[in-house]
Amino acid sequence: MNGTQDSSSAASAQRQVRVQLVSKQEDIALPENTGPILVPTGLRRYALSTLVNNLLANDKPVPFEFLINGAFLRTSIDEYLTANGISAETTLEIEYIRALIPPLHIASFEHDDWVSAVDVLSATSSAASWASSSISPGQERILSASYDGLLRVWNMSSQIVATSPSAVDGGHSASIKAAKFLSPNSIVSAGLDRTVRLWKYAESEDGFSGKIAPQLELYGHKSGINSLAVHAPSNRILTASSDHAVGFWSAKKSDAPAAPENLLPSAASRNSKRRKLNSSISTPQRGPLALLSSHTAPVSAAIFDAKDSTVGYSTSWDHTLRTWDLVTAALVDTRSTSHSLLSLEHLPEHHLLATGTSARHITLIDPRVSATTISAMTLRGHTNAVVSLSRDPHSSYGLISGSHDGTCRIWDIRATKTDKDGVVGESVYSITRKSLEEAGKADAKRVGGEGVKVFGVCWDRSVGIVSAGEDKRIQINRGEGVLSSA
Amino acid sequence: MVASAGSKKRKAVTRDVEEEAGAFSGDELAGDLNGALSDSANDLSSDEDDSEVELVDEFSSDEDDDEEEELDSDEIPSDGEDAVKKNSAKLTAAPADDESSGDEAEVNFRIEKDANGNDRYVYDEINPDDNSDYSDIDEDSNTIGNIPLSFYDQYPHIGYDINGKKIMRPATGEALDALLDSIEIPKGFTGLTDPSTGKPLELSQDELELLRKVQMNEIPEDGYNPYEPLMEWFTTEKEVMPLSAAPEPKRRFLPSKHEAKRVMKLVKAIREGRILPYKPPSEQEEEDKDLIKYDLWADEEERPDHIMHVPAPKLPPPGYEESYHPPPEYLPDQKERKTWEQADPEDREREYLPTDFGSLRKVPGYGEFVKEKFERCLDLYLAPRVRRSKLNIDPESLLPKLPSPEELKPFPSMCATVFRGHKGRVRSIAVDPTGVWLATAGDDGTVRVWELLTGRQLWSVQLSDEDAVNVVRWRPGKDAVVLAAAAGDDLYLMVPSILDPELEQASLELLDAGWGYAASKPAPSAAEEGKKTPPQWIRPSSALTDSGVCAVIPLRYVAKSISWHRRGDYFVTVCPGASTPASVAVAIHTVSKHLTQYPFSRRIKGGGPPQTAHFHPSKPILFVANQRTVRGYDLSRQLLVKIVQPGARWISSFDIHPTSSTASGGDNLIVGSYDRRLLWHDLELSQRPYKTLRYHRKAIRAVKFHPSGRYPLFADASDDGSLQIFHGSVTGDMLSNASIVPLKVLKGHKITGELGVLDIDWHPREAWCVSAGADGTCRLWM
Repeated sequence: MNGTQDSSSAASAQRQVRVQLVSKQEDIALPENTGPILVPTGLRRYALSTLVNNLLANDKPVPFEFLINGAFLRTSIDEYLTANGISAETTLEIEYIRALIPPLHIASFEHDDWVSAVDVLSATSSAASWASSSISPGQERILSASYDGLLRVWNMSSQIVATSPSAVDGGHSASIKAAKFLSPNSIVSAGLDRTVRLWKYAESEDGFSGKIAPQLELYGHKSGINSLAVHAPSNRILTASSDHAVGFWSAKKSDAPAAPENLLPSAASRNSKRRKLNSSISTPQRGPLALLSSHTAPVSAAIFDAKDSTVGYSTSWDHTLRTWDLVTAALVDTRSTSHSLLSLEHLPEHHLLATGTSARHITLIDPRVSATTISAMTLRGHTNAVVSLSRDPHSSYGLISGSHDGTCRIWDIRATKTDKDGVVGESVYSITRKSLEEAGKADAKRVGGEGVKVFGVCWDRSVGIVSAGEDKRIQINRGEGVLSSA
Repeated sequence: MVASAGSKKRKAVTRDVEEEAGAFSGDELAGDLNGALSDSANDLSSDEDDSEVELVDEFSSDEDDDEEEELDSDEIPSDGEDAVKKNSAKLTAAPADDESSGDEAEVNFRIEKDANGNDRYVYDEINPDDNSDYSDIDEDSNTIGNIPLSFYDQYPHIGYDINGKKIMRPATGEALDALLDSIEIPKGFTGLTDPSTGKPLELSQDELELLRKVQMNEIPEDGYNPYEPLMEWFTTEKEVMPLSAAPEPKRRFLPSKHEAKRVMKLVKAIREGRILPYKPPSEQEEEDKDLIKYDLWADEEERPDHIMHVPAPKLPPPGYEESYHPPPEYLPDQKERKTWEQADPEDREREYLPTDFGSLRKVPGYGEFVKEKFERCLDLYLAPRVRRSKLNIDPESLLPKLPSPEELKPFPSMCATVFRGHKGRVRSIAVDPTGVWLATAGDDGTVRVWELLTGRQLWSVQLSDEDAVNVVRWRPGKDAVVLAAAAGDDLYLMVPSILDPELEQASLELLDAGWGYAASKPAPSAAEEGKKTPPQWIRPSSALTDSGVCAVIPLRYVAKSISWHRRGDYFVTVCPGASTPASVAVAIHTVSKHLTQYPFSRRIKGGGPPQTAHFHPSKPILFVANQRTVRGYDLSRQLLVKIVQPGARWISSFDIHPTSSTASGGDNLIVGSYDRRLLWHDLELSQRPYKTLRYHRKAIRAVKFHPSGRYPLFADASDDGSLQIFHGSVTGDMLSNASIVPLKVLKGHKITGELGVLDIDWHPREAWCVSAGADGTCRLWM
């Protein structure tokens, strides 16, 4: 027995391949150029990781992932070579990166009602970077928008720093569907009451109490607003509404045109009770800079181009992704898919737009006019509509998605395989809701993610993955090892 | 060739005249023989004529013999014949001969004394000379003429020859035998005279032996061995190499022209009918006439087979195991033999045990023979044989080629959202025309509006505390948002407060416009009032007004079905209750005029109260279903235009295909029934269903087409807790029928109180569908 094993292992060990190990990250680069190394082809990820750790002479081994030609090594090198028809005599260039640590649950913040959206204010968040204000570690804030019509700002120790005023005091009169920090001291929110509201956020000195005060009300949409995007340097806001329009707004009172009269709540003269609901506090009311209406179904998401704030993208239930020139409010391009699109995120380094569909997958679309194929890649794994997407702050290849199936999934667009539907990606990790585990039903199959639907997800470099959902919680997860070394 | 030519010639001569010869030389082959033998045969026959058979064959052979002899004498005068004749003459006319030899005188008479001493002139026999015409008269021939020979039976003679002498009766068999027996013939007697010695010729022993050998077909020569060992001249072995290397002469390869000519000659003769290649087989049958045959089936007429006639099945041919000496693998081993012997004869797989007898002569008599034949006869006689038209068709090939569901995507396949909130059953569900909201109504008396995707309840109204809300429907069209609901005896028109001010205003105005019209209308006269008073629309109570209800129609009966006209100005309600008078069961309501009308004054024929009603999507036709039929009425002309008879016992719901009567398709209808059937009707084809789908275990509650033409989908909801999604594409081509493919069974609703899924609806644009369950939940499937 032993003899045969030895001989077989010897036979496999005989095949060797020259590999060139490289890394793009400075801190884990090999000390000197080691040149090509001869390794047995039977090696898998773990053995290669040990090898790199030895080469780096790390005291504490760091798990690595290995990329060959832009795709993760998921098999042995031998199988990879066979599958791709590469000769073992060539020198393989293998890029190694830190492996993602399974994200660990950090905390959950409980709400009174479903939480529809979250945003993070931290040193690395876009709002802070736009304002070039520094937020010290530990002073990060998490903004949550809830279906009860209230915005809440949390500190990292699960305390509510501030809550937005109720409808009577100038708050949202219906559920809030989207909220974002525009700057460390201003917040934008929008919801089913068809308004976009700009809030002034102020904190006391100790940072344990704050105030969210209405600053501006923007009218223009005729139906509920599903999502919004902000661009602070230009003070611009994009909203996506169920009235088939994309709203383009200015966050500055002076820039914004007057609000359309017919859409103001006072126009509704139906009954006395509703009038009573109208706020006693008068807030300036403004209208949209432009309503971009060419979608034929509710618009689900609208974002700014990550590099060029004059370009906007929007997705709609009419299966299209449209590119807008925001300066002229003109439609530039339309990309039609075969499913309703429910969420949108830009991956600027790869010129791709990730969009979540009602058909339970994420489609990566190249929005450039020159692109010939509409769908560059499909990420499959969710079991319900994908309604929220966020970029990985650590990697330009990473992506997180929140779905109505009650999970958030981390994707790497390099971890792909090709099947009959084209290039298909699989999720790297799946984050389930902590509330299910606490209820002892983690393994119970939820039909359509009932009760644990994820409505919003946000991935911040310093805070981690923040997701909100139907379980009335914000859940924070963090890949510990990655973040500590970052 | 010469012989055959001779025979031919002979045939040509004798064909007409000579029947006997013709009969003998009937066939071509035998002709040669006959031709060769005919002379001797005739001779023999003439022999017989003269000697023995004269008595019998006198008449028949007279003429023939004469002619024959003439012919023969013309050709070949034969010595033997004359000799025999002379012999016979000697036998018959011996005394006369003696007399004639004695008379030789100048005159041709002499005078003799008779017994009385008187002179008696005795004339010589006339001896005709060569000049006589009768030169060759047969002196011995009988001259009695054409009278039966039996006249002479009592005389010793049988007639007279030409000289008037009696021809004595020849000695009969016994006398002849006695004579021959009396003569002792020495050994070697030949009866011939040796011409050299003049003594009687006698054969020696050697000569007799030689004759015997010749007769016995033996080789006469002594000491000749016919079986001497073969001395091979060269060799009998077949040599591989030829003796000479000379090439085969060319003539061996060329077909002979001479033979071809001859063959062609023959072929030509056959074609022209000069040669008959095969003898017609008729003459054989004429033989054996004395053998009497009874043809049992002589007058048998051929009958056509009876249509039910089945020929008896043939027994299969015997196999190896039935052999008397089967191969060893067919022989039973000890165990098999034992089980066979122990089994009941009826249970045995076969009735015999393969046995090896070694050789055929060891096979004993078969004891079961009679029994087996009897059973076989019984089988043939008694077995009922029925002609079954067996279709030899592969059942797989009969199945229609359905596309796989994968190709027909998208269609709803998973539950995406569960809507919880209703207490008790959810009876009705509807997606609004924009596809954003979902309205549901249930047993708890509430109407609720939900956000479709997330399942968030946005609005609700408590219409009734005790009565269930039976049905809720959105008004079609996007210019205003109005919900119509039926709870208890009343209908409610609502504007949910989820709208933007402008749209809300438009909706409210739409509903409010009718108040003025209704008020301006003259009050119904007393006579009309007596018949049936259409209900007056009333304003709801303030509590209801605050929650969004704008108008109430007191119908006085429980409405279970609401269906809007596509323009949004009319809707039709049906009160299917048994207590509802037939005239008010169906009502059409005009929103803009706040007017309720009853289009039918009498009960709709053909089964029970009306169940549900829908407007045709493009034509001014109202379809009303009662328990068994669906009828289409042209409202403008007040005519019944269509009757559909699904054949279901109790129709629960029906739906009209959205592209009906447009360019892309004719009228298509699906009908669901409480007796578990889903029926597809093509109204162009027939009143009867084009397809009947029975896939549910329990009653079908609701059926619905996808409202947009984009997805050719339809779904049904059943009490067994499942929805079924079908692909039913309707083409504009009149020749091709709709193809229906079952796509998906959606399970999830729990069966509560025997009820499963009560209502379904489709998203107006997407291939999403929603269902309302008796378990208090609604589900979005996508």
